[in-house]
Order: sequence, then C-alpha cells, then structure tokens
Amino acid sequence: MDNRPEHAPPLPEPHILEQAAEWFATLGDEDTGPEQHDRWREWIEDHPEHRRAWRYVEQISARFQQARDGAGRDGAGRILRHTRGERLTRRRLLTGGAAGLAAWLVWSRTPLPEAGGRLMAELSADQRTATGEIRDLALPDGGHLWLNSASAVDLAYGEALRRLTLHDGEVLIQTAPDPRQRPFVVDTRHGRLRALGTRFTVRRHADHSFLAVYEGAVAIRTGNGREAIINAGRQTTFQTDSIHSAGPADPARQAWSQGLIVANDLPLGELVAELARYRHGHLGVDPSVAQLRALGTYPTGRPEQALAMLENALPVRARRLLPWWVTLVPA
Amino acid sequence: MSGVAKPHQTVETLYTEHHRWLRQWLSQRVGCPALAADLAHDTFVRLLARPRGLNNTHGARGYLRTVAERLCIDLWRRRAVEQAWLEVLAARPEEVDISPEDQAVIVETFCEIDEMLRRLPPKVARAFLLSQIDGLTYKDIAHRLEVSERTVKSYMAKAMLECMKINARFQDARG
Repeated sequence: MDNRPEHAPPLPEPHILEQAAEWFATLGDEDTGPEQHDRWREWIEDHPEHRRAWRYVEQISARFQQARDGAGRDGAGRILRHTRGERLTRRRLLTGGAAGLAAWLVWSRTPLPEAGGRLMAELSADQRTATGEIRDLALPDGGHLWLNSASAVDLAYGEALRRLTLHDGEVLIQTAPDPRQRPFVVDTRHGRLRALGTRFTVRRHADHSFLAVYEGAVAIRTGNGREAIINAGRQTTFQTDSIHSAGPADPARQAWSQGLIVANDLPLGELVAELARYRHGHLGVDPSVAQLRALGTYPTGRPEQALAMLENALPVRARRLLPWWVTLVPA
Repeated sequence: MSGVAKPHQTVETLYTEHHRWLRQWLSQRVGCPALAADLAHDTFVRLLARPRGLNNTHGARGYLRTVAERLCIDLWRRRAVEQAWLEVLAARPEEVDISPEDQAVIVETFCEIDEMLRRLPPKVARAFLLSQIDGLTYKDIAHRLEVSERTVKSYMAKAMLECMKINARFQDARG
C-alpha cells in the first residue's frame, strides 16, 4: 500500500544542503546571469551528493508547483494565507464532527512527484518558455530559433563553437552560415548534434532525445560516442548509448513554430499529449477513445478552441472536473 | 530512552492505564466522544510508531496530553486548509466535479506546504510564499517587505534549507 522505502536515505551533509539552498536562492534571482548558471552546473556535476541535495530542492519546489497547478496562483495564495492568518477557535473544531477525520487519517500517502529534469532546467537556462508559450528568436549569426512550450535552452557563442544546450522541451533551428565558420552544435543530455547547414527539430525527453531534419543534415554523436548522420526528411531518436534507425520525418511537425499542431491521422491520445504541452493543468484522454484518429490543424495558443474542435470532429466530449482538469471521454 | 527495556510492553501498559483517561480528557476538549476516541487511538498509534519509555504516571499523562494536543492542532489546521480549498473551489465560475481522491491529494499538498511555512520565521515564510506561489521577483518582494534584495535572497536560501530539513523529518516520521 505504501511505496515509500522502509528507511529513507539520510539527508546529505548539512553544508551540502546549505550549498544547494544557496544555489536555489541564486538561480531564483532575476539578476543572476549565465555565468552563474554555468557555475551551478559545475557544482551539480562535481559530486553525486550535490546532485542528491539538489533533488531535495526539486522536491520542495515541486510541492509548490503542485499547489499552483492545483488551485491556480490566486487560489493557492488564498488558501495558504487563509490558513496562516486565521486564528481558529476551538469552537470551529467542535462543530466539525468526525467527518473530516477519515480524510485526515489517510494523511496523504502520495509519493513525491518525480520532479524530473524539468525544474532544474527551468532554473538554469538562458532562454525558457512558459507552458503554452512559443518563442521565436533571431540568432546572432542570422539563423533562427523557435522554442516550443515549456522549453529551456542555453545559448553560448564561443570562440570555437556556436553551442545550444537543450535542457528541456523542444527547439526548431534554422542555422545560417557563420562568417567565422564555427560549427553549430546542440547538446542534450544524450549527446551532441552538429548541424550541417540545416533546419531541424530537437526535442528532449527524459530518457531519449528526438531529432527530425527538414533541410541539410545533422550529425549525431551520443554521450558514449556512437555516431550517425541524419539527412533531410528523416527523423530518429537517440540515447546516450544508442541511435535508433531513422524513419521518414513528418514535415507537419514543424508547424508548432507557427502555433499549430497538424494532425494527419494521429491517434487522439498522441494529439492530446501534444496539446497538453501547451496548457496548464491536467489534460487527459479516456483509454476507450485514445485510438480514435484525428485529422486537422489545431491552434496551440488556444487549447480550449482545440478541444472544441475535437468535440466537433470526433465522438468525444471534454469532461471538466475543474477548469484546469480536463479529460476527453466518449460523447 | 529512559530505562524501559521493552517499548511495546510500555505502550501496552500505557494503554491499559491511561486510555480511558485520555479519551475523557480529549472528549472535554473536542466535545465529541467519537472524535475523542479517534484522537486517543491515534495518539497511541503514534506512540507505537515511536516508542519511548515513561517511568511514572505523571510523566506518561503529560506526554500523552502533549501528543494528543498536537493531533488536535494538526486536525484543525487541516480543517482550515480544507475549508479554504472548498472556498476557492466554490468561487470558481463553473460547476465542478472532482473526485474525493483528487481533492485529498490537493488538500494534502497544501497541508504540507502550510506545515513547512509555519515553521519558518514569519518574514521568511512571507517572502517564500510571494516568490514560490505568487511568482514575484526578488525586487518586488524586497519592495513589499521593505528589506533589501540581498535579504530576500538570504530568506530564500534559509526557507529552502529549512523546508528540506522539515520535509525529511516528515518522511522520516511517516516512514
């Protein structure tokens, strides 16, 4: 019933926890610059205990994020201020009866959420987009960079390299020739991509990275040194120790850079997972309709409209448990 | 642990000797016999989870009272959170239907945050709330709290450090 470990591992050493807390405070500061982010990453990579301490930071941050997602910023603020400001009298307790006790006794067994790399990435990146936001950035060399919803990247144009680090989410890149002939590379946790005059998309998932090439070619070198060249019109996924064989790329995938999702015979489950990237809160699909095939073009910036379109096109309806909690169910 | 060899036996003894007394004491406090019985039960459950030796009646009752009192306080705090959540829910424009399980998860999250915040110095807690819930910048928080941005940053580090320690203690106590 309870999936917590019997013995929780001990906390990291106090001085390491302190460092983690200091980094948290530094990264949350709007004035913190990229060089501090680099130093933070060095700190993280310096020792496994640093990484472990940072997980604790992420757990706490995740709690606050859950609260914001659960009740909205305003609602969350009201609830927490209400309880903090309120002086309840005993009388309130008397009238309550035992009804609330059951809930209290199940004193949540919810395990902490898996606060993946997302949060860490949000705290460290130079450029980040909020959920639902798509950003269009001009690169210093005349190239173009589109950041998809909830994405985070660092950009560093150094002496030898034009380097983009994808911490989270997805980017579409249109490279331009560099007068200084520095290669353009994209680093993900799974490996390095080198652009060979090109337009391509990279998406970072927890356990793999996705690459689709629309023009030119991209060279992959994974963390463990495997290599492949992916040509225009092909897409693939790779992990630190492997590169999957490439398949045809769907050019419609790029449409997100224009604020659109193009569904061409896409299972509803996948379409909804895409839409969910652009929307706060929960957006799910009942398994019984997840395999329905969707066609059409859906706006990423107006998820509600997209849902209405789906209700029209398919035998489904959006069940709204809360404004931010929507499940598509059979109509 | 003060001088008792078999903790479970101790709890058993405590239960036999003090359960009825505790129930009565709680009953007077909360005014509801059923609730008092539940709270008394939980007090002993908590004692079982963290056994300790108590060598005389006076000490035992004092300790039981402390534990029971804390449970009462936890309970009304939770009620306050639930109440506030229900008000937020009611203020939403459309009619909503969220499962009791989902509600319990949400309420629980708020209870945990509430618990963490109340263990922080008030100004630190306020700063943390403004940052983590309201999304204010350090500059705005500094302005609101009439402190320097440097101080805000130190509040953030302090709040995070304390929260990590508190959270670890919770996990520990429940594990």
